[in-house]
Amino acid sequence: MKHLLKVFSFVVIFVILTVSFSSSYTRLNLDNIAVVVAIGIDKGENNKLKVSFQFTNPSSVSESGSSETAPTILKSVTASSISSAINLMNSHLGKELTLAHCKLLVFSEEIAKEGISDDIYTLMNDAQTRPSCNIVISKCTAEYYIDNSKPFLESLISKYYELFISSNQFTGYTANATLGRFFDNMICQSCDPYAILGGINLQIPSDSENSFSNKESTDMSNSSSLTGETISENVGLAVFREGTLVGELNAIETLAFMCINNDIKGFLISVPSPHVENQNIDVYLTPARNSKIDVSFINGSPYIKVDCKFCAQIYSMTNDSNYLDNNVLSQISESCNRYLKHVFTEYLYKTSKEYKSDINAIGKTSLKLFSTISQYENYGWREHYQDSFFDVSVDVNVKSSTLLSDS
Amino acid sequence: MTDTKITSKEAIMLVVTIFVSHTIVTLPQNLLSNTKSATLINLLYVGIIAILLAYVIYRLLKNFASLDIVDISQYLGGNILKNIIGGIFITYFIVSSSNLLREFCEGLHVAFFPMTSIQFVLIPFILVLFLTNSLSFSSNVKTIAIIFPIVLISIVFLFFGNFQNFSFERMFPILGKGFYDTFITGIGNIFAFSGISCLYFIPPYLKEPNKMKQIALSSVIIGLLYFLFCTATILLLFSFFVDVDEVLPLYSAASYIEFGIFFQRLESFFMLIWILEIGCYLIVTNRFSISIFQKITNLKFQKPLAMIFPLLILGISLLPKNYSIIRFLESNIYSYFIIAIIFVLGIAILLLANLKKRKEGKVR
Repeated sequence: MKHLLKVFSFVVIFVILTVSFSSSYTRLNLDNIAVVVAIGIDKGENNKLKVSFQFTNPSSVSESGSSETAPTILKSVTASSISSAINLMNSHLGKELTLAHCKLLVFSEEIAKEGISDDIYTLMNDAQTRPSCNIVISKCTAEYYIDNSKPFLESLISKYYELFISSNQFTGYTANATLGRFFDNMICQSCDPYAILGGINLQIPSDSENSFSNKESTDMSNSSSLTGETISENVGLAVFREGTLVGELNAIETLAFMCINNDIKGFLISVPSPHVENQNIDVYLTPARNSKIDVSFINGSPYIKVDCKFCAQIYSMTNDSNYLDNNVLSQISESCNRYLKHVFTEYLYKTSKEYKSDINAIGKTSLKLFSTISQYENYGWREHYQDSFFDVSVDVNVKSSTLLSDS
Repeated sequence: MTDTKITSKEAIMLVVTIFVSHTIVTLPQNLLSNTKSATLINLLYVGIIAILLAYVIYRLLKNFASLDIVDISQYLGGNILKNIIGGIFITYFIVSSSNLLREFCEGLHVAFFPMTSIQFVLIPFILVLFLTNSLSFSSNVKTIAIIFPIVLISIVFLFFGNFQNFSFERMFPILGKGFYDTFITGIGNIFAFSGISCLYFIPPYLKEPNKMKQIALSSVIIGLLYFLFCTATILLLFSFFVDVDEVLPLYSAASYIEFGIFFQRLESFFMLIWILEIGCYLIVTNRFSISIFQKITNLKFQKPLAMIFPLLILGISLLPKNYSIIRFLESNIYSYFIIAIIFVLGIAILLLANLKKRKEGKVR
């Protein structure tokens, strides 16, 4: 009897504990929540925010099957803060908004130029928001950007938002910029934040070319050469100083950022042909090792050495190509070196002198040169970064072409 | 409550459980705010001091076979000293348990139960104590021996899961706030090793009291390694963990672990493990409090106390009005409290008792 009583009391307490530590099903079941997959933040009237929420209907996702694109709903509300906007939308929908599945956070360029640090703090303070949520700075309004973000090859919008950035690993034309990383870089004293530069393809050709560049490399969101249906595009980076947007990087500058940051697995570039004038050769590069950054101080100004090493394969092939000739390969390597050195140097001076922003977190490398935090703070890396001198060395080893070697 | 003896492995896990529990809440952040980027070096430094202190405590306890500090204080100063020391250690165990419980439950409240009143988040833990108090000490420790390895693995997993996000430059500037703050005032970080307090109380429970040295040293070394993993995760992951106060920093760190698009949101799994760990901590401190109280009041049975102490923990944990008071107690008062009781008072009692014993030996 005593044993039975013990077992009974154990079962009762076990049930009580299980129920106590479980979240409320009534509150969190699918009928009572509205799943937000993207949030857009624009400047509203009277200094207010216009916050747009993109929802997906979970029940329609399961019903629609894999062949159809799951429908999404976009709703906007004007409020004094993001939290108030969420509250208003809760009231409007009659459901509780959940940000736990929010994959995309879009700020309009206009609001980013005024500073978004308070909004970032608020979002990080929200227990539901994921640090892996992507941050996009839209050249158009955030609402328009989200409305035109349509997954052509995916049925689920949330999956599209999660994967749309994955191409950066093999193109280098945009970077993986998440809320967690943005917040970290914003607070960090030795780096600055960045975000994905987004926009809507307006199909207006850009004519900003220089002697070293080709068309694709100067593409950025809103000015790419893509034709077809109007869709959102994500090429380039938005550069911040602390929490304020200070500039933009095009595709090739973003590639430079990715290479120096060791965030890329491989990329294709078009370099000037050493043999035929005004002709380019397409070369696919993979990092041979991580880029090395070395910081020293000369007369109080940072002297920064960047050393990158790549292996390359030639993609272009013509009827007179001879890629078995060692001299030809050396000349192409040299052409790659010159081109990349120029691109990297231009990029580094642009971000340091023009934008005064250390998005590559070079300041972290300088930390070891100081023995105490107060010494580092007294030096003021952020203020001195704009006085930096860069010495970039690039070593590309063109190994071969791909399948054909000689024609 | 008759089966009270535990093996040396179980004793090690029991001691390390006390180390581990505070790291789940804000201990790593408190360490980081004291010594900033030099925290890892500081931890190695205070870790070595803690190992030496654990060895000293072992040597001082060695002369008293299976007596705990309450019995030793009775030997030293009679019933009055026994009651004072017992009262101080009961206060320490109850206050630290209450504060830890409240702090952890505030985190649970924010992350999982925002609509639930904090009292209802606290109560399940008290129910756990009601249940465990009705079981033997040995079965409590066996439960800890099952849960503790899982907790340890979770922290190692947390470290390696976040490894790709680490930035090792965050260890610099190497001296953090400076040499003085790292190595002189930085000694204050020894409060992290509060689990050493268990060494004063486990001798009567050991099946093999001759393995006390192994227990003392192993538990502090495992605790040190654990601290290094925890603190490195927080320090190297993101700078905002150092500059911005987080309610549960390790929970936030867990939210960064992702393996592709399939394995995500592992923080809930970590939280489940940590709930069990907090339960284990409460069990240990609660059992020691009951045991001390039984000794100072000369009660024959512990059962009448089985509900009183959990309710006392609940009551004290409800006292702070808001989270800022809890954080103030944790980061400003608690550390001095630990240093004074565990590292000053405890060692002083043992030293004096040893001197008395030596004196008596000479007289004979």
